Amino acid sequence: MSLVASSRLPLREIAVGASALAALYLLPSFLSDYWLRVLISVAALVVASLSVSVLFAQLGMVSLAQYGLLGVGGWFALRISHGAGAPFELALLTGGAAAALVGLIVGLPALRMRGLYLAIITLMMAGAIQVLISAFGFPDGGTGVLGKSTGARVMMARPFLAQSDPAYFRYAVVVAAFCYLLVLAHLRGRPGRAWAMIRRGEVCALAGGVHIVAYKVWAFALAGFLAGIAGGLLAGGVGQLDGSAFPASQSIMLFALTIVGGAYSWFGPIIAGLMLRAFPALLNEFHVDGNIATMVFGIGLLHALMTAPQGIAGQLAGAFRAVGKFFKGNGGTAA
Amino acid sequence: MIEINDLTVLFGGVRGLSALTASLPEPVTGLVGPNGAGKTTLINVLSGFIRPAKGSVSVDGKDLKGIPVYKRAAFGIRRTFQNEQVVENLSAADNVAAVLDNVPTDGQPRRTLIAKALDFVGLGAKANVLGRDLNAYERRMVEIARSTVGSPRLIMMDEPGAGLAQDESEHLRQVIRNVHRYCGAQVLLVDHDVDLISATCAATLVLDFGSSIAYGPTPDVLADPKVRTAYLGVLEESA
Amino acid sequence: MPDFTPFLVSGLALAATYVLSAVGIVVLYRSSGVVNFAQGAVGALAAFISWSIVERGGPESLSWLAGVAIAALVSLAYGRLIAPRLVSTDPITRAVATLSFALILLGFMGYLWGEAPRRLRLPTDTMSFELLGVRVTLTRAIAFGLGVSVTAIVMLFLAHSRMGLQMRALANNRELSAMLGVRVFQIDGWAWVISGVLAGVSGVLLGDLQRLSGQTLTFAVIPAIAAAVIGRFASLPATVAGALAIGVCEALLTPVPVIGPFRSATPFIFAVGAMLWMQRKPVFVYR
Repeated sequence: MSLVASSRLPLREIAVGASALAALYLLPSFLSDYWLRVLISVAALVVASLSVSVLFAQLGMVSLAQYGLLGVGGWFALRISHGAGAPFELALLTGGAAAALVGLIVGLPALRMRGLYLAIITLMMAGAIQVLISAFGFPDGGTGVLGKSTGARVMMARPFLAQSDPAYFRYAVVVAAFCYLLVLAHLRGRPGRAWAMIRRGEVCALAGGVHIVAYKVWAFALAGFLAGIAGGLLAGGVGQLDGSAFPASQSIMLFALTIVGGAYSWFGPIIAGLMLRAFPALLNEFHVDGNIATMVFGIGLLHALMTAPQGIAGQLAGAFRAVGKFFKGNGGTAA
Repeated sequence: MIEINDLTVLFGGVRGLSALTASLPEPVTGLVGPNGAGKTTLINVLSGFIRPAKGSVSVDGKDLKGIPVYKRAAFGIRRTFQNEQVVENLSAADNVAAVLDNVPTDGQPRRTLIAKALDFVGLGAKANVLGRDLNAYERRMVEIARSTVGSPRLIMMDEPGAGLAQDESEHLRQVIRNVHRYCGAQVLLVDHDVDLISATCAATLVLDFGSSIAYGPTPDVLADPKVRTAYLGVLEESA
Repeated sequence: MPDFTPFLVSGLALAATYVLSAVGIVVLYRSSGVVNFAQGAVGALAAFISWSIVERGGPESLSWLAGVAIAALVSLAYGRLIAPRLVSTDPITRAVATLSFALILLGFMGYLWGEAPRRLRLPTDTMSFELLGVRVTLTRAIAFGLGVSVTAIVMLFLAHSRMGLQMRALANNRELSAMLGVRVFQIDGWAWVISGVLAGVSGVLLGDLQRLSGQTLTFAVIPAIAAAVIGRFASLPATVAGALAIGVCEALLTPVPVIGPFRSATPFIFAVGAMLWMQRKPVFVYR
């Protein structure tokens, strides 16, 4: 169940994924409208969490700006969609590209330095994005550079095939699956091998001919792209994005929950997405203060750092293995 | 062909290498000397990890100064490390592929090149075994396989013989002797095992305190009294 | 051309709070290797405690003391209880752990006090004097004075006292220091206390000068870290200079049209500039 570059095609995981996709196809009929919309957001956040986890699991890079980059992607997706009437897919890709570019431009100075500086610069990036987004807001049908409407706010046009909520949910799940496949393709190809060499040691990578900064840039661009796609998905799901919903703390939370969910596992980002969106929604239903969620997540991250770097997903996997061993052991000879 | 000219490396006040000059043409050359003599320093200069204060070094006629570190593998400079640097999450084949990604291939399909390299070191059957499941000797062989792909010019091996069993040691000697014939690369072998050096290297360079104290055919060099003194110390007359 | 003088004055006071926070970060990093992302959050806690005491009718003049004391305690608690469990991990993990601590504090403060707009009032706010034609409140003057004096005290302490020497030893080589008999655990503890005190003072002052808000004060760690980056996490004089530059720049941009609302991105620009400057020479793998 490893997100770390491995030569085997993860057939077992792909089979599990395929059956999960089938289950998810049927899911909308069982959910209330509210929870359907929550899960649409979860799908977008899963992609955002995947962006954090690719950087962390492959290269140990900490980016505290991914939710901010989600906002950047959402902004560009909305702008293109409203301004040029572009089809949803194009808006999505534009958002991804824009976020990748912004992330790179800002992160580049730190990519050549110690990892700590990347954490610092991405934290500041998240802060800067927060300032810009709260000042400019999101495009909602108006003209002018910022696309702010003076009248009624226009919702983002959904994809041709996915106008209704259930259809959009399935669409979002498919996009998320594509993002996973994109990451898988990277891991099994040149970038994955180069990243593995870099992870082994700078000396190993350099002696093997790997241009370390170039591959770090590639990873960071990929992460930015995924975050941007998540932003477009979120914008399409909710219809509009709120300028006050992108504080720097959200990026920190996204990072925290990705680690807690399990950065080294395929399943981790899914757990993270659920926690980030579904958990506060659950608390809301029981009228519990959202700040409690923040505290719980902070404690969770601290705990994960101190005891279980594999996160919840890793612990679940460990639990499954233990159960499996128990049953095998009962059969007589040792496995 | 390695040409070293007046090479000086300074670590603060310590002279890692001191005006070292040598010409190393043999297919397999040994590099020996007591600890701290500068052997690993010399290899690190060739790899590009250390920048010399003075002097130059060239391989096959090309001065290495202008070549950035990560381009040296493509140029043809490879090495294996004292602490093996095999990637645990990748299979043996992928470990080799990781280097093949960055070096010139002569048009042959990658799979063939990787298979050939692994066969050369005797790991043909273990191509799909993950790095973490290989034993220490197999990992060393993977490192050697990695260094033979893509037209290498110079393969530097830093103490490959350490801690090997008898049959592994024998196999290592065979591999080292065959490298030049297999891929045309020169081998620079650093090791403390004098038997290994004698069995594989036609010529040997001896370093002490950062400069050369002897160079020549291996048996002559190892019999040289200067070399014996440096390595074994002076025999004290008992009082 | 807007008159910059009042902004310069307020900028110096603001810069002084950044100086205090940044010095705390660098001193802690030098002795324990931890970049404390929770510096702002701890300061925010101090400010809220201080405000609460006054709200409940406590003595105004001592409320800030209680706030700073709590900040020192909380900081020490983290340093004694949590940081040791992470001592064998890499610097990034330890830094991210302080980030999680910041999250916990942020949630805690949000839960207890919420984000309603508030201002922390100190008794020195009402006293003021004239300087360069500008009215300067005593609070601002104290902030600046503290910034200068605390930095001087810390630098003298590190350079001339026994504990300062031990802290410098720790920063240089932790294991070696332990072998030489330096009480690593104790010295570490003191570093966390100093960092907490500086965070508390900075937080209380910022809560007065700017706004008493959990979010704002927590993320006031950003300018402090930017200053620490400028000082390369090693040089206190450079850190102080950086913090002053950032604070003054930020304040001076306030009346400037167009750019004004975005002045909070100033630390970011400075940090990026510092990083680019640090990379101007190629670094070799083995130094």
